[in-house]
Amino acid sequence: MLSVEAVSKTFGGVQALRNASLSCAAGEILGLIGPNGAGKSTLVNAISGVLKPDAGRVRLEGKDITGRGPEFCARAGIGRTFQTIRLFKDLTVRQNVEVAHITCRAVRPDVAERIDIDRLLAQYELDGVAHALAGTLSYGSQRRLEIARALALGPALLLLDEPAAGLNENESEVLAIAIEGIRQDVGCATIVIDHDLRFINRLCDRLCVMDQGQVIMSGETSEVWRDPRVVEVYVGQSQPA
Amino acid sequence: MSHSVEKIMSPAAGRVVQPDRLLVRSLVGGLVTSLPVLVLGLLVLNLAPTYYTYLALAAFVNLIVVVGLQVFMGNSNIANLGHSAFVGLGAYGVAVLSTPLAMKKLSIPHAPFGFATLQLDPFSAALVALLAVGIVAAVSGKVISRLSGVAATIVSLALLIIVHSVFLNWTDLFKGNQAFFGIPKVVGLPWMMVLSVVVIVLARLFKDSRWGLQLRASAQSPQAAAALGIDARRLRLMAWILSALICGLAGVLYAYFAGTISPKLFYFQQIFITLAMLILGGMATVTGAVTGVIVLSVGLEFIRSIESGVTIAGIQLPQLLGLSGVALGVVIVLCMAFRPGGISGRYELDEQLSRLLRRSA
Repeated sequence: MLSVEAVSKTFGGVQALRNASLSCAAGEILGLIGPNGAGKSTLVNAISGVLKPDAGRVRLEGKDITGRGPEFCARAGIGRTFQTIRLFKDLTVRQNVEVAHITCRAVRPDVAERIDIDRLLAQYELDGVAHALAGTLSYGSQRRLEIARALALGPALLLLDEPAAGLNENESEVLAIAIEGIRQDVGCATIVIDHDLRFINRLCDRLCVMDQGQVIMSGETSEVWRDPRVVEVYVGQSQPA
Repeated sequence: MSHSVEKIMSPAAGRVVQPDRLLVRSLVGGLVTSLPVLVLGLLVLNLAPTYYTYLALAAFVNLIVVVGLQVFMGNSNIANLGHSAFVGLGAYGVAVLSTPLAMKKLSIPHAPFGFATLQLDPFSAALVALLAVGIVAAVSGKVISRLSGVAATIVSLALLIIVHSVFLNWTDLFKGNQAFFGIPKVVGLPWMMVLSVVVIVLARLFKDSRWGLQLRASAQSPQAAAALGIDARRLRLMAWILSALICGLAGVLYAYFAGTISPKLFYFQQIFITLAMLILGGMATVTGAVTGVIVLSVGLEFIRSIESGVTIAGIQLPQLLGLSGVALGVVIVLCMAFRPGGISGRYELDEQLSRLLRRSA
């Protein structure tokens, strides 16, 4: 599905990514973790086309999408959410989702036909507020709307950048169930970045650990935590495993 | 990619997208929004003295300009200070193309490209003028749609100044600073009303269309819009051209009812008054554009009538020249301070009505 091959990116002398590689298969939930400044968001931005890597390749379903820009990557099938919520605040909840569906209808009509916006809203508990302006929703609902909107794009790959940030334990659990639901319903590849390790461990099939711009370890979730390098990175971190 | 889909993706989901119903809804919405305009127009047509008919015609021209302005500003959220360039191009276009040859011999005998000996019927002249407006809009829009925010606004202002300079200095074709007279007066209030309704409905259809929706989305969060595959530049260009054509139509109609035009009509004064109307009414909606035009047109006319000094209950008020300018400024400051979204806010008239009905039900 997605393969990232030896991607590097430098910002004015600071090497944010060094030869970072990862892959994610359809139906898989991959957790991307690491301390602050490890390069997780930079890698997500390189995958979704926001940043153009200095070196390396990003392939989606075998197609080279390296540095083609966010619009191209979205049309190629990458849906994403943002670390800080970016909704269309003065549009209604339903319109937010429709905007994504319009693109899907244009580029993948067969997929679009099978997406039922009302059902999608109901699934993310947004059917009651479908006609409210997105900016008026509570924080948790805004997080859910961002995911619902990304799904209306009919993505082959879903990138979730800190979806559980600011949610309490209950809300995180509801969110985790919803993300597992995506795997069953949509079958897309999913990459989740989060600092909440309990949330990550519960949700992800595999983990990819980053530190100082490098992917230092990737593998099955349980196996990753047995690796001494990972433990070293996380020793002294606020949330040990 | 295998989309094994069950819950959110059902085979019967085709009915969710109902373009026909949405189309009907925004058509009806546009007609509801233009109702007040129609009613006022009919009142003036049937009851008011001639002087007011002339005022109403001018107000209708402003209405079309403001609706045109809304199409770009309201959806892209970029301030446009150049729309009068297109109003002027429309007006001068039909002036040059449709003025009778006898008149042209007096006014522009040395016009280049054979325009001195060309006379089109008013309808063809309007079409050609709008075509010219469309071409200028497409070229300027190529630049503007690549920019955003203040940079785009400055470019729109530059366009206004360029077009104004051309009107002023290409005297062989546009008569420069002098009035261009003798344009056939073929437009009256009925035509103006019909075309106002058409323009209002058009603006509403664009706003509710998938292009309008995506453009509004990209204005609210460019990053999120890009992440959903939206090509904001193309949509801005589209809105810019449609906006220019509507403003050009306003110019055509102005020339056809006034018969005489001059460059200063299509400069800062018009920019300021139409912007004030749009911002006061609320630029997010077509209803806002209509509301702003009605409120400011009526208000300014009322102030003008007391400006020259009136007698109220036996007391002679002094002349208050310049009051209308002061009042205009004060109204805008107050409105921005207490209702920055404008009078009508975020909802169209029909949406407000259905919300009211739902609440009382």
